[in-house]
Amino acid sequence: MSLFSRFMDGWRKYRKPGYYDEFDYHWTMTIDLDKCTGCEACVTACQAENNIPVVGEDEMAKGREMQWIRIERYWEGEYPNAKLSFIPMMCQHCDAAPCETVCPVGATYHNQDGLNAQIYNRCIGTRACAVYCPYEVRYFNYYDHEWDSPLEQQLNPDVTVRGKGVMEKCTFCIQRIRQAKDVAKDDDRRRVQDGEMQPACVQTCPTKALVFGDRKEHESQVYKSMNDPRNYRVLDELNTDSSVFYLKKVDA
Amino acid sequence: MPNIDRREFLKLVGAGGVSVGAGFMLREANKDPREYLIPHVLAPEDFSSGLDTFYNSVCSMCPAGCGISVRTREGRAKKIEGNPAHPVSQGRLCTLGQAGLQALYNPDRLTAPMRRTGEGESASFEEITWEQGLKQVGDRLDLLRAARRGNRVAFLTQGVRGHLAQLFESFMRQLGSPRLLHYDFDHPHTLYAANQQFFGESRLPYYDLANTRLLLSFGADYLNNWISPVHHSLGFGESRQGRADVRGRFVQIEPRMSISGAAADEWIPAKPGTEGILALGLAHHIVAEGNYNGADLGAWTNALADYTPDAVAEQTGVPVNSITRLADSFVDTTPSLAIGGGAAGNHSNGVDTLVAVNALNYLVGNIGQEGGLVLNPEPAGPAVQQHRASYSAMVELAEAARQGEIDILIISGTNPVFTLPPAAEFAEALAQIPLVVSLSSFLDETTALADVILPSHTYLESWGDDFPEPGVGFSVGAVSQPVVSPLYNTRGTGDIILDLARRMGSSSVMPWQNMEEFLKYGWRRIYQRGDSQTLAQGFDAFWTSVLKAGAWGETTNGSTAFTLNPDVIAGIGVAPPEFSGSEEDYPFILHPYLSPNFHDGRGANLPWMQELPDPMTSVVYGSWVEVNPVTAEEMGLSEGDLVDIQSPHGQLRVPVFVYPAIMPNVIAIPIGQGHGEYGRYAKGRGVNPIEILSPLLEPITGNLASSATRVNLTPTGGRVKLVKTGGVSRDLGRDIVQHTSLGVEVSSAADNSIPITEVTT
Amino acid sequence: MTTETFKLGYNDIHDDVVRSIVKTGPKYYIALATAGGVTLLCFFFPWSYQLYYGIGAAGMNHPGVWGTYLASFIFWIGLSHSGTLLSCVLHLTNSSWRKAMYRSAEAMTLFSLVVAATYVMVHVGRPWFIHWAVPYPNQMELWPNFRSPLLFDVMAIATYITGSTIFIYMGSIPDFAAVRDRTSGWRNTMYTLLSLGWRGTDKEWHRLHWAYTFLAVLIIPLAVSVHSIVSWDFAMSIVPSLHQTIFAPYFVVGAIYSGTAGIVTVMFVLRKTMGFEQYITKLHFDNLGKLLLVLSLIWTYINGVELFTAWYSGTSEEYEALGYKLFGYYAWLYWEMILFCAVAPMLMFSTRFRTSFVPMLILSIAINIGMYTERFLIVATSLSRQYLPDAWGTYVPSPVEISIMVGSFALFTTLFLIFVKIFPSVSMYEVKETMATPKMEPAAPAAGSPA
Repeated sequence: MSLFSRFMDGWRKYRKPGYYDEFDYHWTMTIDLDKCTGCEACVTACQAENNIPVVGEDEMAKGREMQWIRIERYWEGEYPNAKLSFIPMMCQHCDAAPCETVCPVGATYHNQDGLNAQIYNRCIGTRACAVYCPYEVRYFNYYDHEWDSPLEQQLNPDVTVRGKGVMEKCTFCIQRIRQAKDVAKDDDRRRVQDGEMQPACVQTCPTKALVFGDRKEHESQVYKSMNDPRNYRVLDELNTDSSVFYLKKVDA
Repeated sequence: MPNIDRREFLKLVGAGGVSVGAGFMLREANKDPREYLIPHVLAPEDFSSGLDTFYNSVCSMCPAGCGISVRTREGRAKKIEGNPAHPVSQGRLCTLGQAGLQALYNPDRLTAPMRRTGEGESASFEEITWEQGLKQVGDRLDLLRAARRGNRVAFLTQGVRGHLAQLFESFMRQLGSPRLLHYDFDHPHTLYAANQQFFGESRLPYYDLANTRLLLSFGADYLNNWISPVHHSLGFGESRQGRADVRGRFVQIEPRMSISGAAADEWIPAKPGTEGILALGLAHHIVAEGNYNGADLGAWTNALADYTPDAVAEQTGVPVNSITRLADSFVDTTPSLAIGGGAAGNHSNGVDTLVAVNALNYLVGNIGQEGGLVLNPEPAGPAVQQHRASYSAMVELAEAARQGEIDILIISGTNPVFTLPPAAEFAEALAQIPLVVSLSSFLDETTALADVILPSHTYLESWGDDFPEPGVGFSVGAVSQPVVSPLYNTRGTGDIILDLARRMGSSSVMPWQNMEEFLKYGWRRIYQRGDSQTLAQGFDAFWTSVLKAGAWGETTNGSTAFTLNPDVIAGIGVAPPEFSGSEEDYPFILHPYLSPNFHDGRGANLPWMQELPDPMTSVVYGSWVEVNPVTAEEMGLSEGDLVDIQSPHGQLRVPVFVYPAIMPNVIAIPIGQGHGEYGRYAKGRGVNPIEILSPLLEPITGNLASSATRVNLTPTGGRVKLVKTGGVSRDLGRDIVQHTSLGVEVSSAADNSIPITEVTT
Repeated sequence: MTTETFKLGYNDIHDDVVRSIVKTGPKYYIALATAGGVTLLCFFFPWSYQLYYGIGAAGMNHPGVWGTYLASFIFWIGLSHSGTLLSCVLHLTNSSWRKAMYRSAEAMTLFSLVVAATYVMVHVGRPWFIHWAVPYPNQMELWPNFRSPLLFDVMAIATYITGSTIFIYMGSIPDFAAVRDRTSGWRNTMYTLLSLGWRGTDKEWHRLHWAYTFLAVLIIPLAVSVHSIVSWDFAMSIVPSLHQTIFAPYFVVGAIYSGTAGIVTVMFVLRKTMGFEQYITKLHFDNLGKLLLVLSLIWTYINGVELFTAWYSGTSEEYEALGYKLFGYYAWLYWEMILFCAVAPMLMFSTRFRTSFVPMLILSIAINIGMYTERFLIVATSLSRQYLPDAWGTYVPSPVEISIMVGSFALFTTLFLIFVKIFPSVSMYEVKETMATPKMEPAAPAAGSPA
């Protein structure tokens, strides 16, 4: 084909998230704000699953928290009509992620499952991705972290323990996704079924406010959930095309 | 190059080679043996390198008894999940449950039996062997038993159910001692008493949140700490958005907004201790409006005559139209459900309050109905409610100790020195007991005063079982099994008791070698309740299937029809709450609440829980006192200002947090910090509000009225920076959390507009 | 620009400049030792501490992940802008007053860039892998991410350093030759190598002039684009107060502004310490002052535009960020910046002020303090106030950062001190161009200079 059409082909591909024509899976999460109680079970589950270090009181006082999923609180009104809403905030795995474009060494990119992947051993720690992320869900390792023995016995062997100078964030428990895909592949090369794997936060949420799955599968729970009329995306006006849909809180 | 001849050269080479070889051998000899790779010629069972093994068990981080499924890899516990097959947790788990791994692998665990040496300030613990420790205690027990003075032995345990509770009972019966006390700070004594009064059984009912359409909660923080948070959260989620076309509505009535209050559709601040009066106000309106048509209508009208909306409005601070509106919706929405507890039950009128809440359920006829209050069947396992010790029972124990009536006190899994107010003088009483034995896994405040420590396994290393309370409407049981081999030189609590029983000559009555054997013995009875299919498989197959499933259940046929004893109706009434101290001297009411991270303080030694931001305030690693914004402004207080909180019984210094949803004359401090012992993460951090509680009691149960202490607040002028993860907790018009009204679809145009707002710093 | 004829002869120029290179007194060594010592103590020592323990030694946190390291980096890039840019522009406009000072100004550029490049390595979390930002064929078969503004930075700064180095070196070749002819021993060897066999023939002069002009023309757009690219590190983000189109002109103007102020400072120091009073005169300060005034006015205008657009937008994000800048935690820094960079430079409307050396020195230092504050504020205030209010936080620099900042000035000074002893810091041949051609008389024996 002509040079120009080859160029246009490349351009079209370049404009797609991750440069893929089509995602293999398109992992999506919905969070029902009418159900979230702010109990933070998801926060601890994520910590346990992903070897997230405890930074200690001094580091917390400096503002260096390390929580891949955090619960944000927003008060409205004043006493006696004060209301408090909780909103879990984790990496939104944006299909038009601002963080992906800015990493000078390409340590963060969009993979074929629609996830925003962070490659720890490529990261040189410029921290530009944390600046560019409007959701502020990227966390930097300011020190090498230690686990008071024998707490390190609890570390998950499927997840890297990050060293200093490296950026990290929610991965939608990519190690669980990988394992589920491996199992599915061994099992006659089928696809991962809806509900077969959950990230740690989704699995533990006591109110079932978090739902996770592949939106390419139209029978999945997450597909129905994300098409609920209550759905919206946080900071949607920035056109990040995030993969986390929130269901509006109901005033009744 | 210097000139070397051949001989010299060979000498050098030889010397060099020998020294290298010697050095190598020296290093090899001094190598840490762990550097050697040990091949798995005989691998442990269930050990597949690189593959996970899941074990089902029961969580013990709070009294709810959720079933858990623990992922282990090569003999190490990696992750705790809820067990999908267990009816209480249904595959889900709360934040404290997730942190159980850090209790197992805690650096401050007690690793071997210890004995106290030295006195007073120079006292320390020296390590001893199990034989020494068990012998010391067992011999004394044997002596006392032989001399028929076994009643000088007291056993203080955390609230346990199941066969371990039965074991404790047998043990104490062998000694002939009635002094078996199950003590937990958060045990809902008043709720049990209220249920005993109203339903005639001392058992918690099943609150069917999942199917209800309107929940009125009088002070019960059901999503957080109240009796079974995971199950109630499941019910909440189901009720809210789990059913098509039906959305459950939740109303919370309490002086300080809790997590359940934040999740509620409506939060109604009522004066502390008046929740029961409010409930009766609602009941009055229901009856007065003719919405109740039972045969005992006359008795109800009489009993509720004084609780007119105006009178109730005055006493509770809740406006009249709220009272009538709530009552009307409680009747109009079917099914509806009223629950009560938490701080509302911890007043001088606690039992009457919760009876009033039960009355509401009765009046709308939801007892035994779906979406209402369902009475639970008898648990399949041992029922041991009678040993639950309230505050006054603990005070009695302390008094007996001071009188020299106690020779041995065995403590297991509870920390009364921390969870009892100093007014109980429990620590001083311990000093009067010649032999205090602690079976705790950690050096908490109570264990630090013990004479002998026989440390137990944590729950992840132990055999046990549980029959959850509250039940789920049908009989449920689960076996708790070890998921890893014991890390240290500790033993299971049940094993320790059985050993001690043997040493005091009770092996004929308690012949089991260990807890696992005893469990199997006990579960045979449950096995025999099974149908023919179950019986056909044999006990061993049954036992294996129970362990594999992680849960056992038995459906009950039909629901028991409930008739109310008419005497109960006549006795219904809620007196205004009493408080310690006068209002002039102590203008504020202290509202201590169980923190989600630490529960009653047990979670304070878990680093994850210390670093977990408090859900309502986002503060970490410390304590704070919540003050109403108008009150704070009047007193010139802002976040981080240190204030002195003084009650008639003590004083604390703690920084202020300006809290938008608390009544102006109420201040709240979370329970859980302020440890003097309990490990590196807990020690010396924050304050313990229990320390300043006044010993007011609820008269029927002897329960501590922990929400009835009056305090005053004095600014000190000092200031600290509260460590918190949150920034500015206001939306500022950015529509981050978006709302919608029921049934109205919001058009996309409104979503993208960003309103003008004022400049603030 | 009026041509001022030096009332000196060729030999005087040579004598003065060569003397400044060759004659080193104890004062120089003390200065060099101090600067070097401070560099080691305040720059390299804390940096190695940080390399060992992690970026936690600095004060960055969540969400303030960028702090003084990046602000300093931009400050040093800014300082670099004036020297070479000024030199090139003034060369093309045939101004004569640049001739005495442009060599030092270009040196300033070069060393600012070197310090800035070192700052990148300080800033990054894993500097031992920083070479991955350079596109070289490698085993991993990975190129860096060319879409990234930070990578544009790498390209731009690399080009700028290369260009500036060639520029300053090339322009110095005749002077190296002049010094070669007046020194002996190891210096003679060094300058023989450095001067590349310059003989001063017509052809060589012609080629030099042509090449120099060619580079000058190229470097001007390069300089403008470098700082625009650096500004796009910020402007291409979607952080509320950073995502503005005015950032590129803002940064370029600010760079030239702070760089010119830096030149004033350096010229003052050079005058005093190297004995160049005859060459760097009131005229230079006057003209630099006029330039500074114009730049100050433009800078003030751009700041006003920023304030206006933020207010005019009416969005909560812009409002909060603006309010925070003006009245928040760092408000005192903001008003100090306005005072030093917008208000104080108005003094330069007075000719008397512009031609007074010490007041200009003080003002130039104040301007640079203000400009550093501006860079710091851009980083710190914008990251503190982003879209989600519950994630707002405050960043406070740590002692390690402040030490490294002080150390960076010492590093710059050390490099500059070494420079003045190798390069002729005043361009001899250009200054000679403004002098009257000497008559062919037997030369009176001039004191202290070899024939």
